[in-house]
Amino acid sequence: MKHRITLTVNGELQDIMVESHQSLLDILRNEVGLTGTKKGCNSGDCGACTVLLNGKAVNSCLVLAAELGGSEILTIEGLLRGRDLHPIQKAFIAHGAIQCGFCSPGMIMAAKALLDLFPIPTEEQAKRAISGNLCRCTGYTKIIEAIMDAHKFGKS
Amino acid sequence: MFSDDVEYSVIGKRVPKADAIYKATGQAKYIEDVFLPGMLHGKILRSPYPHARLLRIDFSRAAKVPGVKAAITSADTTKVKYCQMPISPNKMALADEKVRFIGDEIAAVAAIDEEVAEEAINLIQVEYEILPSVFDPEKAMEADAPQIHADSPNNIAAHFVRTFGDMEKGFREADLILEDRFTCPPVAPCVLEPHGCIAAFDVAGKLTIWTSTQNPYNVQRALAIILKIPLHHVRVLNTTVGGGFGNKSTILSIEPIAAFLSQKTNRPVKILNSRHEEFTTARTRYGMVIYLKTGLKRDGTLTAREAKVITDNGAYNNKGPGITSVTCNRIGNLYRVPNTRTEAFVVYTNNQSGDALRGWGGPQAHFAVESQMDRIAEALELDPVDFRIRNANQSGDVTPWGWQITSCGFIECLQEAAKMVDWRQKRKNRPLGKGIGIAGAIHTGGGSTGTHGKGNYSEVSLKINSDGTVHLTTGDSEIGQGSDTVFAQIIAEELGVAVEDVKVISTDTDITPVGMGTWGSRVTFVGGNAAKGAAEMAKRQLLEMAAEMLEADISDLEIKNRQIHLKGKPQKSLTLSEVAHTCIVKRGKPITSKMTYQPEHTQAPDPQTAYGNYCPAYGFGVQIAEVKVDLETGRVKVERIAAAYDVGKAINPMLIEGQIQGGIAMGMGYALLENLQVEKGKVLNPNFCTYKIVNSTEIPAIKIHLVETIDPYGPFGAKGIGELATIPTAPAIANAIYHATGARIKDLPITPEKILEALKNRREGKQEEMGSRGKA
Repeated sequence: MKHRITLTVNGELQDIMVESHQSLLDILRNEVGLTGTKKGCNSGDCGACTVLLNGKAVNSCLVLAAELGGSEILTIEGLLRGRDLHPIQKAFIAHGAIQCGFCSPGMIMAAKALLDLFPIPTEEQAKRAISGNLCRCTGYTKIIEAIMDAHKFGKS
Repeated sequence: MFSDDVEYSVIGKRVPKADAIYKATGQAKYIEDVFLPGMLHGKILRSPYPHARLLRIDFSRAAKVPGVKAAITSADTTKVKYCQMPISPNKMALADEKVRFIGDEIAAVAAIDEEVAEEAINLIQVEYEILPSVFDPEKAMEADAPQIHADSPNNIAAHFVRTFGDMEKGFREADLILEDRFTCPPVAPCVLEPHGCIAAFDVAGKLTIWTSTQNPYNVQRALAIILKIPLHHVRVLNTTVGGGFGNKSTILSIEPIAAFLSQKTNRPVKILNSRHEEFTTARTRYGMVIYLKTGLKRDGTLTAREAKVITDNGAYNNKGPGITSVTCNRIGNLYRVPNTRTEAFVVYTNNQSGDALRGWGGPQAHFAVESQMDRIAEALELDPVDFRIRNANQSGDVTPWGWQITSCGFIECLQEAAKMVDWRQKRKNRPLGKGIGIAGAIHTGGGSTGTHGKGNYSEVSLKINSDGTVHLTTGDSEIGQGSDTVFAQIIAEELGVAVEDVKVISTDTDITPVGMGTWGSRVTFVGGNAAKGAAEMAKRQLLEMAAEMLEADISDLEIKNRQIHLKGKPQKSLTLSEVAHTCIVKRGKPITSKMTYQPEHTQAPDPQTAYGNYCPAYGFGVQIAEVKVDLETGRVKVERIAAAYDVGKAINPMLIEGQIQGGIAMGMGYALLENLQVEKGKVLNPNFCTYKIVNSTEIPAIKIHLVETIDPYGPFGAKGIGELATIPTAPAIANAIYHATGARIKDLPITPEKILEALKNRREGKQEEMGSRGKA
């Protein structure tokens, strides 16, 4: 059964038809055409699909699209202002926190959720904020450093 | 201490990766992000049984599902069996008569979307004759074990013995002999990006395939062989690779299956592995049982080392024999041992096959050897660091196996690591439950010759554009480790341009030179040398033109900061772009160069004896782990790891740190967490919820010290360390746990249950199953 939902994605209104069982991840990647959010496991375990739903970090593979009428979604694509990188993105690049990059969009969105509340987080806060985001390449150290340092790269 | 005392512009600098901006913004295209008009989705029917004969396959219900465009079995394929390595190929894309592991590919469907394809797969009816199965490699070798491949009695895929020196003499001279049995189970690679591909045949029968791979040329060759089409009809486009670690160095079955489906439908077909398929069919690190026996003198000199290695080859040949021979040669060459004998059995079982994975047999060997070295140090009452320094490989050594150790900072790494942690104090003062342990490692720092039945070369092609910027094409792949950036740095240094002036293309078999790909920690060394050589040749051409334009002698010119000027007279200069423009546009003389680098001082190991110097530059590393063990729950917290690495020359220290930090996390998982629970061939935990890899809250504080030994053959002296990064971690942690608790665990992973069991056994005075024997 198809449902019609209207939601805001990265500040733009999206008016789309979705199946009952479709996840937010699937409609973002297919219907809305934003492929920056990744599908790593489709079962809420890896965090690669992290987006902000009404300001809160969620695993978009676990969220039913049909329930999202009126919601505000922020994806990795929404961080750019024209071609200006968000300070978190600058921090990740400068710190070498990105290797294969598959976990990076999810990591950056999880980091944004934290930094919106705590612009200068402690190491403990940074570690906990990304504890649901798996990375196989970096060992997390430089990601944590980038998150703690993001405030030095500009205002969000 | 080592140093080259050279001031570089770009070498040694912490240059951010060129592709990071795309990955940070969601613009990098991975295989899951590629969509083509008319594209179909493929799904695979996989065997639910570990060993069975296929009697009948009925598509009638599946074919009726609206949106299904093709359904195939092996009868619709060429039935070519393929293996990347030069050993008996026995895997068909789709199973012909028998299935041999749970997950083995039986049939495939292409449909308008994933859901329709999935529905169709579930409607395919198969009749099986279930056969007896075997999952333990030691049991699979027994006379009455079920036969998995008709041509391999006792399920032995490979058996070899390597002997160097005089074993009888070696053990006779020993004052003490230790024997242990170690087990290293198969672990899942857990690349974050699942394997995937899109295969598209065109009307002329030419195939284009998009895929996530460590070597597009391996994919090209494999598909040409399997599909029986010429190489130039196969074009492979490498999408951004979301993690490889060895697990994407050869094809699975999804690539030929997608190709056969595309051939049948005349449309592009996309197949993406689910995470479940990643855990159950995308292959594992090879599981091994290692029996290790070492003889030594009272003064700490090693006299002999003997090992029997039994590898679980899984259901089909992939890299079992090659990786097992690496396990054996590490056992033979780690530290100075005059007499060594290794015997290996690579045995088929009805488990999924193994694959290349970071370290290629090295982690298994090092877990065994370094755990036992610790036991030896204790038996002799020697400090573990001193004992290792005493026996460490050194520059100038030629090992009994023929390895020529050129640059070597093993001793320096041992010393520096010990200094970083205040080793002696921490070893002595040991609060209950806290411990510190060390492990060293040796690995290839520049790939190896003969490993895939061929040489070890890289070719690059370079052109200077008319504005002085540079294009480099290479067959070696960027998989996140930063090879594209390292190439750009090498070229920028050599040509006197900025790193951002260099564009590296490594992704298209129609355009790039043939490459051997990314494995064996080879790309910085072999590819880097090719890039440096090509840059030197292009530089010569630029200087020749500049000499003419400046009316000067070539030997009086130098290039720096995009300018060519007279040495000592910077005012007499031209910009690089002026010179390039003159050459290319005004004179019609393009500035291009091509360079193939293949080390000259290496040989493929002798096929009988394994003797030979097969790697151009061996890398060395040491890790010291500090742990805290909760003696009531058995839980281990790794508090700190100090890592000292001989990298030859750190071309980009930030990238090297990233490799070490990532390698430590992977090694920690191997040591403590990662446990693919398989029962009767079925993986019980095929997801990240129940198969644990290290997360952000578990990582230790890491201190890194880089030793620059300036390798005589490496570009600017550099060697690779991508795999070395992970090899010492598990034994360092195991040794720290022993120091903390007195519990010596020889079976990975070292779970809380095993620690508590070992502590209980010690309390009850139970002996270890294999121990040490001394002489009077």
